[in-house]
Amino acid sequence: MDLIKIFILASLVNNIVVMRFLALCSYVGMTSDVGQSIGMGFAVTFVGVLATAATWPIYHYILVPLGLTFLEILIFILVIASLVQLVEFYLKKNVPGLYSAMGIYLPLITTNCAISAITFENISFKYNFIESIVYAVAVSIGYLLAMVLLAGIRERTKTSPVPKFLQGTPILFMETALIGVAFMGLSGLIK
Amino acid sequence: MKKDMTKFGITLALFASVACACLAVVYAFTKENIEMQAEKQFNASMQELFPQANAFDKIQDLASSDPNIKFETAYEVKNGTIPLGFAIRAAGPSYGGTATLLVAVDLHRSIAGVEVMELKDTPGLGMNASNPSYYVDKAKKTTFVGQFAGKFLTDPFEVKKDVVAITAATITSRSLTKIIKAAGDAAIAYMDQKMAAPPVDSNASQQQNSQPQGMQPKAGGK
Amino acid sequence: MKKLYKVFRQGLIFENPLLMLMIGLCSAIAVTTSVSNGIGMGLAMTFVLFFSEVIVSLFRKLIPSIIRMPIFLIVIGAFTTMVDLIMKAYFPDLSKSMGVFIPLIVVNCIIMGRVEAFASKQSLGSAIADSLGMGLGYTWVLIGIAALRELLGNGTLAGIQVMPASYQPILFFILPPGGFFVFSFFISFNIWLKRKMEKAERKKLEAREEAA
Repeated sequence: MDLIKIFILASLVNNIVVMRFLALCSYVGMTSDVGQSIGMGFAVTFVGVLATAATWPIYHYILVPLGLTFLEILIFILVIASLVQLVEFYLKKNVPGLYSAMGIYLPLITTNCAISAITFENISFKYNFIESIVYAVAVSIGYLLAMVLLAGIRERTKTSPVPKFLQGTPILFMETALIGVAFMGLSGLIK
Repeated sequence: MKKDMTKFGITLALFASVACACLAVVYAFTKENIEMQAEKQFNASMQELFPQANAFDKIQDLASSDPNIKFETAYEVKNGTIPLGFAIRAAGPSYGGTATLLVAVDLHRSIAGVEVMELKDTPGLGMNASNPSYYVDKAKKTTFVGQFAGKFLTDPFEVKKDVVAITAATITSRSLTKIIKAAGDAAIAYMDQKMAAPPVDSNASQQQNSQPQGMQPKAGGK
Repeated sequence: MKKLYKVFRQGLIFENPLLMLMIGLCSAIAVTTSVSNGIGMGLAMTFVLFFSEVIVSLFRKLIPSIIRMPIFLIVIGAFTTMVDLIMKAYFPDLSKSMGVFIPLIVVNCIIMGRVEAFASKQSLGSAIADSLGMGLGYTWVLIGIAALRELLGNGTLAGIQVMPASYQPILFFILPPGGFFVFSFFISFNIWLKRKMEKAERKKLEAREEAA
């Protein structure tokens, strides 16, 4: 399938957060500050691509030939968890600067729905390796975009008069709904 | 410290092996059913499209003019030795991933019918293609894929002109129309090819009736 | 027994996972486009939550703290796979319409959260009560949101036409932004409900103190 089409669909038109409701936990929790959301977005991109590079070959060269496809969920989630641990150790030791910037987000990524969704969907959409990597990057960038957008809006609404019954979390979701409507307009990009 | 590590390793391995063993058991139980589901759906759709069919000759390597649209299986559908038409299971890109359709073509070179096998588009929009209560023509109660029944493949297939699109789901409508047209054209091409070079012995060679598994020969109706 | 009931009740309103604790949102809103999807997801999640909490609670003394995360993942992953296989085999239409959200139960924050925070420290009885309470709390919210979205956005409830034929469905509700929109009202409603219940409890306590 057209790589560009995959990219636009995954990052914008079918944006993982705003249109597909995934990764909401981190979305609600880590967007109080634009810097935080950028950090999280990059961490997700990094782990997402690594996870794809690890899980895709495992599925196609180990699970399928051995008829063990029913272990997909188990193996994938363990691979992701181990990967996150490894990345954390590696960064802590070798790139301490990056670790202090990104380190706090890493443990949260293990249960990040977006990463898991990427790995499962690479299989169910029957993508080849290149398409999977493109998909992983696209979804993560979409995630980053949604995070930064919401963080920006939140900073604004902190000083705006919000109706009493919407104060707190409800207004966040209203904002997300509006971002979503805007993104839906982007579907015209695909012919 | 080392003793602890081995203890941890063993505990992990124990949990993992018990988990895998349980899963293997559940898998063994459900595997047949899962595979049967795909068959069931295919057979049910075949029944809808060709109620009198009871024999299927598999067509090998049916060529597709569009590299993105793949024909997973293709059959020449018969009642005994009387040819009824063709059924092609075609998969192509749609809005939310790959869509799989069963396209039935009859000998008049028109579409006999279309059934949606797999569709992953937006619920309420593109997914209405597989929604039996969504009508593109409310008066005649025609569904999106239903409108193709009886349409000649020599007719134009332009969405929004000759083909009624699903409201607010033009991309899905176009993608599915493309798949249907590609399958239809391929069937016609195959038919022409066969007519140009008729089989040497029509009755004897028909004996290699390869029926899809699970399909009981019936003279129409369930 | 009263203690168990209290544990059970928490998950329904006060600590409702979706509306109060704000966890497990990922799969929740996405499946609320139809009531049948909502029920399916609710039951699937409750199944995995129940068995995961039970197993972890039963073996909690045998799980070393350092490796507890991988072990939890193994347990949760195993039950998620079971649900996935069972649904593919016996409920293929539901399985297809829920798509990737069934496997995603494995990273559902609710399950991981409850297993870690509760089941690994509590007795079997409490674990059972908690999982059922949380599961039911999750399910009722799903059904509520799905009912609203399906009714307004499609005119049907669980596939059965409820609105009169002349009703023009408001597509917005079936679309993702509509989901967020409806969800924010549910949160708002739950906050209001919580405040009301807390007020009632306080009044009861005050009345008891007065009488004393």
